[in-house]
Amino acid sequence: MEKTHTPKKVFVDGPISPQFVSDSIAKHQSKTNIGAHSIFLGQIRADQKEGGVVTGIEYTAYTDMAEKVFHEIREAAFAKFDLVCMHIYHSLGLVPTGEVSLFVFVSSAHRRASFEALEYVVEEIKAKVPIFGKELVGETGEYTWKENK
Amino acid sequence: MTISILYFGMLAEATGHPSETWEATDPLSVGQLREQLLQKYPVLRDRKFQVAVNQQIADSAMSINTNAEVALLPPFAGG
Repeated sequence: MEKTHTPKKVFVDGPISPQFVSDSIAKHQSKTNIGAHSIFLGQIRADQKEGGVVTGIEYTAYTDMAEKVFHEIREAAFAKFDLVCMHIYHSLGLVPTGEVSLFVFVSSAHRRASFEALEYVVEEIKAKVPIFGKELVGETGEYTWKENK
Repeated sequence: MTISILYFGMLAEATGHPSETWEATDPLSVGQLREQLLQKYPVLRDRKFQVAVNQQIADSAMSINTNAEVALLPPFAGG
């Protein structure tokens, strides 16, 4: 696959709103070669920690490297799967519990490619992108550092 | 030679700053730099981290050139 894709802006400030997700879906109505969309939304859980309940995650990143790695993941996914298009958005800054911090949107002619690509892209993001998360616990300013398993 | 070192997340907290300029002997491998950093910051000994050189994950044998941007990366938490 010779085609390369220009790097896109991935990071957004704060939570990703349901309105943003629905607007993204609407923008694809003109792309009539698409027959399947797969969407992953990562949402902040209210995990129970020693000092209380998680109220949100504050994200930071090594942004220059992260943008490069996001681009590599996109290129690899286009090479591996028969996709029409792909969009990735990730939050920086504070995302409160219950809100969305990761939005991955892949589209293909047929369902199988979009199912498989979605899992691949999400797993790659979790493993390879230098994003760091401080889980805010309780109301007293305590926190722990999140680590992907 | 001079390199710059960036610290992220819990490592910036542990070292007390997000970045610094580092004067090092040439040649320098990632493993050697790691040892020097652990000497300066003993608190890093019980922290898990990867090293990136010029925005690429590096193994300990990789050599570091002058003006390199070296980043200490704690466990990733994206998603």
